[in-house]
Amino acid sequence: MGEKLDVQRGTLALMILKTLQVLGPLHGYGVARRIEETSRHQVTLNYGTLYPALVKLEQEGFVTAEWRASENNRRAKYYALTAAGRRRLARETRDWNRTADLIAAFLAPRRREEKP
Amino acid sequence: MRYLRAAFARLVGVFTWHRTDDDLREELRAHLEMETAEYTRRGLPPDEARRRARLASGGLAQAAEAVRDQRGVPWLEGTVVDLKYAVRALRRTHLFTAVVVITLGLGIGANTAIFSVVRGVLLRPLPHRDGDRLVYLRHSMEAPGGENLTFSVPEVRDLRGGAPSFAGIAEYSSWSSIHETREGAERIAVGLVTGNYFEVMGLGPVLGRVTGPGDDGPGAAPVAVLTHEFWLKRFAGDPRVVGQRVTLSSKPVTVIGVLQPAPFFPDRVDVFLNLVNSAHHLGATMLEGRTHRMTEVVARLAPGATVEKARAEVAAVYARMQVEHREAYDPASHYRVAVIPFKEVMGERARPVLVLLMGAAAFVLIIAAANVANLTLMRSVRREHELVTRAALGAGAARLRRLLLAENLVLALMGTGVGVVIAVGGAGLLESLARRYSTRASEIQLDLPVLGFALALAVAVAVLLSFLTPLPGEGSLGGRMAGAAWRMSSSAGKKRLQRALVVAQIAVSIVLLAGAGLLTRTLVRLSQVETGLITEEVLTMEVPLPTSSDVSRSPAADSWAKQRYAEMRRQVAALPGVIEVGIGSPAPLRRSDVMFDVKAEGMAVAAGEAMPRAELRTVGPEYFRAAGIPLVHGRPFAATDGAGSGKVVIVNQTLADRIFPGRDPVGRRIAWSGEILKFSPLTEEWRTIVGVTRYTQDGGLDAEPRPVVFMPFTQFPAVAGALVIRAAADASALAPAAMSIVRRIVPMAPIENVMTLTQYKDATLSARRLNALLVSLFAVLAVVIAAVGIAGVLAFSVSARTHEIGIRMSLGASPRRVQRMILREGCLLLAIGLVLGLGVASFAVRILRGLLFGIAPDDPSTFIGVAALMAAIGIAACWIPAARAARIDPAVSMRAQ
Repeated sequence: MGEKLDVQRGTLALMILKTLQVLGPLHGYGVARRIEETSRHQVTLNYGTLYPALVKLEQEGFVTAEWRASENNRRAKYYALTAAGRRRLARETRDWNRTADLIAAFLAPRRREEKP
Repeated sequence: MRYLRAAFARLVGVFTWHRTDDDLREELRAHLEMETAEYTRRGLPPDEARRRARLASGGLAQAAEAVRDQRGVPWLEGTVVDLKYAVRALRRTHLFTAVVVITLGLGIGANTAIFSVVRGVLLRPLPHRDGDRLVYLRHSMEAPGGENLTFSVPEVRDLRGGAPSFAGIAEYSSWSSIHETREGAERIAVGLVTGNYFEVMGLGPVLGRVTGPGDDGPGAAPVAVLTHEFWLKRFAGDPRVVGQRVTLSSKPVTVIGVLQPAPFFPDRVDVFLNLVNSAHHLGATMLEGRTHRMTEVVARLAPGATVEKARAEVAAVYARMQVEHREAYDPASHYRVAVIPFKEVMGERARPVLVLLMGAAAFVLIIAAANVANLTLMRSVRREHELVTRAALGAGAARLRRLLLAENLVLALMGTGVGVVIAVGGAGLLESLARRYSTRASEIQLDLPVLGFALALAVAVAVLLSFLTPLPGEGSLGGRMAGAAWRMSSSAGKKRLQRALVVAQIAVSIVLLAGAGLLTRTLVRLSQVETGLITEEVLTMEVPLPTSSDVSRSPAADSWAKQRYAEMRRQVAALPGVIEVGIGSPAPLRRSDVMFDVKAEGMAVAAGEAMPRAELRTVGPEYFRAAGIPLVHGRPFAATDGAGSGKVVIVNQTLADRIFPGRDPVGRRIAWSGEILKFSPLTEEWRTIVGVTRYTQDGGLDAEPRPVVFMPFTQFPAVAGALVIRAAADASALAPAAMSIVRRIVPMAPIENVMTLTQYKDATLSARRLNALLVSLFAVLAVVIAAVGIAGVLAFSVSARTHEIGIRMSLGASPRRVQRMILREGCLLLAIGLVLGLGVASFAVRILRGLLFGIAPDDPSTFIGVAALMAAIGIAACWIPAARAARIDPAVSMRAQ
């Protein structure tokens, strides 16, 4: 496995919101698994990173949480996107793409200067 | 919006914590189980699966802590815990706590007290509506007594016509009147004002109305507006006073209102009157005399106008005036007009003194904080073990810092409590000081902003102290834990910091001592100043008569007044124990503000040189003997120098030297001169000098010598009079008898300033005495704290080196040698501090320049004395720990390890 990436500030919230959008209501463990898989195991999440982020999102009203029975009949706390969460996801996705484009353009090799 | 929502959720989290804590534990357990199940599914044995799951997920406790930090308001919860802990820890070390609290209390108290004065006198917004739009016009010239000439009515008229930047120009003249009531008479301070005065000043009534433009002109009814203070003092705040008539200088005046409380300017005022109350103010003299200057001018800037623009306009108008009226503005005297923001003028006299005191107080705080810092450093060394243990148990650097901050906050806040008590105690003293420099002293109070200032100081000190203490480094945890258990480490860095603090304390103490030394020596110099007269056993009292404003115009009133004064003199002189009684105005040592140009017969003034000016004083024949003013030439006035006989004068040495340098002035003739005489009862007729008196220090012991012309009391209207009573012993005991005589002769006359010349001389020094006292107090405080500081650091050094000293002694070092070693350590710090302090002081004392007398700010003997004193105290302070080091028993000290 290659080197692990540090989760940048703010991007974890985006990943969580996206995961909940794609998979629907999900417990913390499921969110962690999904993010690790999607990142091809470049990101691993332990409790200390994941749960504060979830609590924060819940406090800010972007997700709701409720206890439910899980697929194999365990009790687990399920998180679900709220309308505000959906709006934030849309906005941050847009912002992130724009930033990514900008950085990509910025870091692209400048052909003209390389000519002799 | 989002931030607010989150903040609110967090705050709720603080109070709903228990429910969510369980909830979280449950959730984490579910997570762990799922993780374990996943590993089991992949085929690991249950125990191994659980272990791997734990590893992958990180510690439960850490996660809970991280979530807790996220969920609640961690710093709030943490701070409460920290504060509780800090109080407990400080209770354990009560000696340390007491020293720190008292030290900080002194520093913060001094600063809070001084700041309350600065705020009241300089910073508080004026109560005047848009007070920052007010300006004061100062008319001055370069000659003694020319610092503030005030304006004449024609000058004000010109200004009104040529300065559109002013929305209004108000006139004010200081006057006095005698307020007659059934209980007796008193002289009150009066402000004669134009109708627009209150509109321009932006002041309104609390009762009735203030004057308006309708109260101007000769046809208006005489009306009075009482100041708030006078209303409370004389009328007990009775609202029925509006509409009542009062008797001022024997004339009825209707009270129309009471003014809102406002600082007086330029002098204290009891009653404001419209101009019709003074016949003089509506007379041709006042209205037409360009050099008849007695009007203060305050103006309000028009909307959009700036002070700069107003200055330019005033300068242009004034330049035109000088061209059109050459006779009124002698070019050699450099006349000019300054436009000054009103608030600045109000604080003008207080500012230098307050800057000085503020500086001194700040220095005391610096020293106090340095001492506390040192104590904290020492304690931090003793606490090293505790801090290391905490760090090892997982407290992060920020957490430890916060703990220290909480402790220091508790200390500083306790210090502030003590400081506020000190400030309250010192408020009376400071107010009496401020009263001498400002009319805003009554605005001084320990209100919220002042307490806020004290609190801000406390927090600043606490933060500073918290970041001074080094935290245990992370790398060496194990070693430090082992080491700190038995050894008090004193890292080189920490030691350097301690020493630097001690050096700073000594240096700052030197600066304060130098200031105190200079001010005290100024005081000594001043009290050594020869007054020029024999002040012992002379009682003076001023007796203004209600007729004073009539005597210039009515010969009958004048001769009535003179008869009364003569009668008082005769009867008081008959009292047992009285040697001589003189009549004159003003009383000795007080300066006369009546000054005119003087010309000498046959002596031309060189072109470009200003005319000599002299004070006019009137005295009876016995005045000089009663006041103890020696005549150096000629004779005193005689009973034969009456109203009808030849005009004679006596001059003082200063005037004689000026106009007849090197010649005997007796028998020569001088005359008053100048445009302004038109407005006085004087003429330019020649008067023969019959005597020359010694120069006397009138108007303050530090006053520049002023030329004086004495005229016989009989040859000038009796506008005022004072009794000068020389007694064989204890002059002040004569006061009751003399006052009852005066009351019998003139029942309606107030009797003022009943005091001996010694008392008066003393009173002129009281402001400076207070200054010197305060700065000395600060200096003593600083030196004591610094001495404790240096002794403390050395004592600490000795206790840290006990083991080493034990070894030295067991190897043969004598106690004397050990003592010398410690002393040397202290003296080195002392010497560096002394050199540094003298260097800083030589610059810092420059702010004292205006407050010194007879001594240069860099006076070498003061500096040497100060250095010697500090050195002596410093060495004494070092002696105690050094002696203790010498008493160390090698056997005991080594076993102790």
